[in-house]
Amino acid sequence: MIGLRGGISIAIVLILCSALAVIGWGAERAAQRTIAPEILAKANTVGRAAADLVLRASSIGVPFDRLVGVQGYFDDLRAANTEFAEISLVSAGGAELARSGNADKARDPPVARVPINDAGGRRLGEVVIVVDPSVVSAQVGAVLVDVAFIGVVALLVALELVALVVGARGLESLVAVERRLRALKRGTLARQDGGLGAAENLVSPIDRHMQVLASRHDRLRAEAEARGDDATLERLREIAARTGLGQAQSAGSEAAMAVRPALFLFMLAEELTRPFLPRFAQSLGGFGGMSPDLAASLPIVAFMAVVALCQVPFAGLSERLGRRPGFIGGALLAAAGYALSAVSTHYGVFVGARIATAVGYALVFVSAQGHVVDLSSGAARSAALAVFVRAIMVASLCGPPIGGVIADRLGASVAFGVSGGLALLALLVARLTLPAAAAHRPGSDGAVLSNLKAAAGAPGLMSLLFGCAFPAKFLFAALCFLLVPLELQREGYSSAAIGRFQMIYPVIMVLGVPFFAALADRFDARSAFVVTGGVVAGLGAMAVPFGPPVALIVVALVALGWGQAMSIASQSALVADTAAALGGGRAAGALGLFRLVERSGNAAGPASAGVLLSSIGFASATGLLGAVAVAGAVLFALSGRKVFADQSRRHASAAASEGSSA
Amino acid sequence: MRRTTLGLIAVFALIAAACVAFGAYFSYVTLLNAHRSVVEARFGIAAQRVVDVAEQAASLGIALPAQQALTGMLEREARIEQAIRSLDLTDEHGIVLFSSDPARIGRDTAHDDGRDLARPVRNDIGEPIGRVVLRYDPKVLANGAAALGDDLERIALPTLLWAGAATLVIGLLLAAALRRAVRRAAEPRLWPPAARAALASVEAAHRALSERAGPVGAAAGVRRPGGEP
Repeated sequence: MIGLRGGISIAIVLILCSALAVIGWGAERAAQRTIAPEILAKANTVGRAAADLVLRASSIGVPFDRLVGVQGYFDDLRAANTEFAEISLVSAGGAELARSGNADKARDPPVARVPINDAGGRRLGEVVIVVDPSVVSAQVGAVLVDVAFIGVVALLVALELVALVVGARGLESLVAVERRLRALKRGTLARQDGGLGAAENLVSPIDRHMQVLASRHDRLRAEAEARGDDATLERLREIAARTGLGQAQSAGSEAAMAVRPALFLFMLAEELTRPFLPRFAQSLGGFGGMSPDLAASLPIVAFMAVVALCQVPFAGLSERLGRRPGFIGGALLAAAGYALSAVSTHYGVFVGARIATAVGYALVFVSAQGHVVDLSSGAARSAALAVFVRAIMVASLCGPPIGGVIADRLGASVAFGVSGGLALLALLVARLTLPAAAAHRPGSDGAVLSNLKAAAGAPGLMSLLFGCAFPAKFLFAALCFLLVPLELQREGYSSAAIGRFQMIYPVIMVLGVPFFAALADRFDARSAFVVTGGVVAGLGAMAVPFGPPVALIVVALVALGWGQAMSIASQSALVADTAAALGGGRAAGALGLFRLVERSGNAAGPASAGVLLSSIGFASATGLLGAVAVAGAVLFALSGRKVFADQSRRHASAAASEGSSA
Repeated sequence: MRRTTLGLIAVFALIAAACVAFGAYFSYVTLLNAHRSVVEARFGIAAQRVVDVAEQAASLGIALPAQQALTGMLEREARIEQAIRSLDLTDEHGIVLFSSDPARIGRDTAHDDGRDLARPVRNDIGEPIGRVVLRYDPKVLANGAAALGDDLERIALPTLLWAGAATLVIGLLLAAALRRAVRRAAEPRLWPPAARAALASVEAAHRALSERAGPVGAAAGVRRPGGEP
């Protein structure tokens, strides 16, 4: 039973896929009609320049058919313009005087012919440039790949909006109906708890049937108990277990997942800033004497450091405030930070604005995570945390390309303004969807300092954290938040294009994490996945100094995504195992320590990258950071892996462990 | 309930249409950027040729302000392409030294408005010593943008309407199916097979247990299979 909400969600996916395919087809036609003629126009420009040169030689008395060095000149032109398959100089009589390249004329390629006429208007010959149609197709194809990325983003945004709507409180009547129909479809005769809204008339006949059955069941049980009839009691228990009769089902995990739309909108606000933030920071100039690269990295470092430092104390603060007030307060502070960023013309003010945003971000993150944990338990908690992570990953996938386009078209200040607006929208959605008094537990296990210290002594934990967790986030934040945007900016890429590069990592993560987590569980080889993932991520970055930067940036981002997807869920599962083995406050300490070390890596990465970029340049800096990740993985393989291998018998599922590593 | 369902379907139709509009707009921006890159690559050829000559001269010890022969080259390169408004050689501070447009000599290119592209001129050790700045007619981009906009609009508008309408139709069909399912759920004989099987097994078990318990159990009110519980 799919239900109206599920059915229409699937329908929207199918409709949007086909609609976006049509848009892609239209984009392809538009590209063919505008970009292909421009390439031919370029060939004409080059042809006119070559014709001008030939004419000048001719005007000083060099006979047209005895020009020397023409082929070498044409070779140089073709080397600089790969879209030209062939350039030739042809006399008025049709004789080919010089040629570079050899085009396949059978494919009817576009040809630019530029006549060469002397001062008297006499035709001397012509320059003929044959455009390589495969290069034109490749350029149009590259545009279509970008359009396909946009399609994916549009689809994901649609799904999040659908989730926002179906999570709205106004739909409780529909939810009530669908839950009952779904239960009947499964053969469950349990009573359904929860609000009925306007659906009372519709569902009351179903509820009445269940109530009558349950009452009779209870009476029979009471009578059997009175008689001491164990066989009957056992039979009644078996019926209840099989059909759910007499039991009540609640929509618990749905309440936990209510935070998803608000969290998505809030995370989207921050992710919008990724492609243009380093450039914007550079444009403000930095503090006196600061290099442009350091000026770009400092706001990112400040943001990450504040998030890392606030994570632990804010866990307690969020419990005391309540999850909804915590979320709302954090979103308000972050919105103020974005607004201040938008109007900043002074570097110090901008850094301050980023710190304010970071404080709000940390409070929102902790409150949202706390809401999920408070309102879920057991397997439902894993599912709810997976939804939580998915909201963050989808935001990190959609945010950069959207932010890049807004910054390109309307400027970075407007893009910051849009982020502020989204943070306020998240606040509003949280106000509408989160329960007013979330079931928080004052005094529950927080990762206080003593617990952190105690957890640090757990066998193998520190080698996992500093060998793998720290370098993973260190490399990720350095590469994705600072090095790649700055290098692509130097290469002349727009913010929109940079945003699409930044999608590579989350796309691979979204697809790869569940796959590798399941593999790690299946082969019971989580330590091996952690080590291999660290090595793969590091090697990708280490390849950057050995080739053309843009191609190897793609290689590094793919390797980073691939490596992190291999290791991240297994890392979380190993930490969860350690926490379970420690028990009590030390368990919370182990998890808190893990997040603290990860977030420290997020802060240290851009800081180190900023310093290295100023001193040794992009390629060497990236290679060096990759080497750190590889060295960390090797260190863990040598020192900590055996400890975790010994613990492997009592592990939790890697597939379910990755809660908040995004 | 009917109002909720219709409202939900309408919102979903709006989401579908909005996301198609979003996809179309962002595709337009992507095409626009691609078009601009191709246009600038075309104009960049002329600028790069001037850069090559200026760097060669600089490597022979001729400082940029002394490269007066470049004026002829700038004029020639600018003539080749009608859309080029001016082609300038500036010093490292952006002040025009030579130009295809004599009126621009001595101007600060930082104050230029409109479309331009610049290529750095470097000395033998790679330090920038000046720039070649090419200003071109913004109509070249505007015409391309208009053509792209028209092309995509022609495709996007009907697609957007279709997406919204298709969502509405499917939503209404699903809503009708839901209403039918709710009506059937009120009558146990029409329940889905799994629920009917569960109900039958419960009825049978309750009857058997009630018969075993004798007259007391009969008071629990168990009926024959298929009847109301």
